[in-house]
Amino acid sequence: MDFDAQLKLQAFLDGELPEGEASKVADWLARDREAAALLEELRNTRGAMAGFEAGIQLPESREFFWSKVQREIQRRETPAPKSAPTPLLARLRRFLAPASALAVILVAGAVLIRPAGPFDHAHTAGIETALADSGAFTYHDYSAGATLVWLSYPADNEVADNDEAGTIE
Amino acid sequence: MTATDHSSADDRTLVRAAQRGDMAAFEELVARHRDKIYARAYSMMRNEEEAVDLSQEAWVKGWQRLRQFQGEASFGTWMTRVVINLCLDQLRKQKRQRTESIEAMDEESGGVERQMPVVTSNPTAGLERAELRQRIDRALALLSHEHRTVLVLHEFEEMEYKEIARTMGCSIGTVMSRLFYARRKLAALLADLKKQD
Amino acid sequence: MRAKLIRATGLGWFSVALVLLACAEVRAQAADMKLQAYLLWGTDDTKSPEGKAYKPVAPEILHKLKELPLKWTLWFEVNRKDFAVSQGAVKEVPMSEKCQVNVTKISGTEVEVLLIGKGKEVVKRKQSLPKGEMLVLGGNAPNSTAWLVVLKRIE
Repeated sequence: MDFDAQLKLQAFLDGELPEGEASKVADWLARDREAAALLEELRNTRGAMAGFEAGIQLPESREFFWSKVQREIQRRETPAPKSAPTPLLARLRRFLAPASALAVILVAGAVLIRPAGPFDHAHTAGIETALADSGAFTYHDYSAGATLVWLSYPADNEVADNDEAGTIE
Repeated sequence: MTATDHSSADDRTLVRAAQRGDMAAFEELVARHRDKIYARAYSMMRNEEEAVDLSQEAWVKGWQRLRQFQGEASFGTWMTRVVINLCLDQLRKQKRQRTESIEAMDEESGGVERQMPVVTSNPTAGLERAELRQRIDRALALLSHEHRTVLVLHEFEEMEYKEIARTMGCSIGTVMSRLFYARRKLAALLADLKKQD
Repeated sequence: MRAKLIRATGLGWFSVALVLLACAEVRAQAADMKLQAYLLWGTDDTKSPEGKAYKPVAPEILHKLKELPLKWTLWFEVNRKDFAVSQGAVKEVPMSEKCQVNVTKISGTEVEVLLIGKGKEVVKRKQSLPKGEMLVLGGNAPNSTAWLVVLKRIE
């Protein structure tokens, strides 16, 4: 069976063949056991995939996930504050001094082997070992320079006192 | 619209309210469809953290573009298309070249999958739903991004060949080859997993 | 000749700059890391619980917390500890009767943080913590409140 014939079988299964071609393939399948076996395999695979995603759930609580979405929407909708225009000379002066300092640093940086700086993504990605908590998730905010590790276990908390309502000592 | 109204309202009503700026209505939509959107992202990305991030981004974009939604498809379908496009962008950025280019060569010449023996017994027969899901999960993880994407778009998103071709920016012939390869490879992987039992 | 002199002088100053940078790098690796640890309580209620005089959390901490996806609007400081940790050493920092955080300085900016709650190891995290950045570990507390252990590097 050549490759084109195999693809035609697949198209037949997927309902992608025009009517005339589909009936020719149906006739062929009635005569050819190898083709029928291949079609059956393709059909079984398709059947196996059905409903696969139904069991997958977002591993974050409704509240937590929504708070992230909402926050991001609000952040993007808040326009950045405009600053007053500065005189040309002041702008030039502000540019020249750091530019020369930057030139020295860049050359030095190219020569020295430096550990990861604050803007290196690998540097901010940490490694967690959830010990008592199998549902911890991490969120990093680059602009705030803060990493949040939210622990979902236990339903109460490991550090608060369950006996006294509302306290954590 | 009160919170109680939201939970009993249909998607169309919630969308209309959200289009007028009702964020609580949008939250209800998120709650209803978040698992489906996440599942689609996870099927494509195979990484929980990435799938969560992309789902989140999809919802933010959904809010921003909500006025463009005219009800031509269901809201859930519209949102899955948003997350699919984000996943595809992300996959393109990642550019895992080496292994995929080897597989691409094989599939385009009709090489590897033509030589795979036909799996005659149904490898999923007799399996509980949860166990089957687990096996498919393991098998999907072993496919390349390109092949998995075609499979997800066809089997889960129920796109036709030409729509997949348009979405992935390739020819219909490539879609058919990749889909064929992905299905045959999945069948072989599932059969292998069954043999290991 | 003049050009050569200018080049030589420039090269000299450049070499000095490189040496100074290298020395600073070595010093940074060896120096103690100064940190602040906070135990915070998050709530939507405007006052501390009865009998507890919790302080409002410091503005610079609050500012960063507002950037994180935490729903609580008010944060109170339950406890605060300032400490330093040397290279390779483990600093045990009790934050309350039930909570302790152990911090190990692994390298110049890298730390390993172990959170212990009610005697059990809850989570261990290894990451880089540059000056001014924060690591926030948190979870739910009774009555829809929250607890946070915040680790901030100040030096």
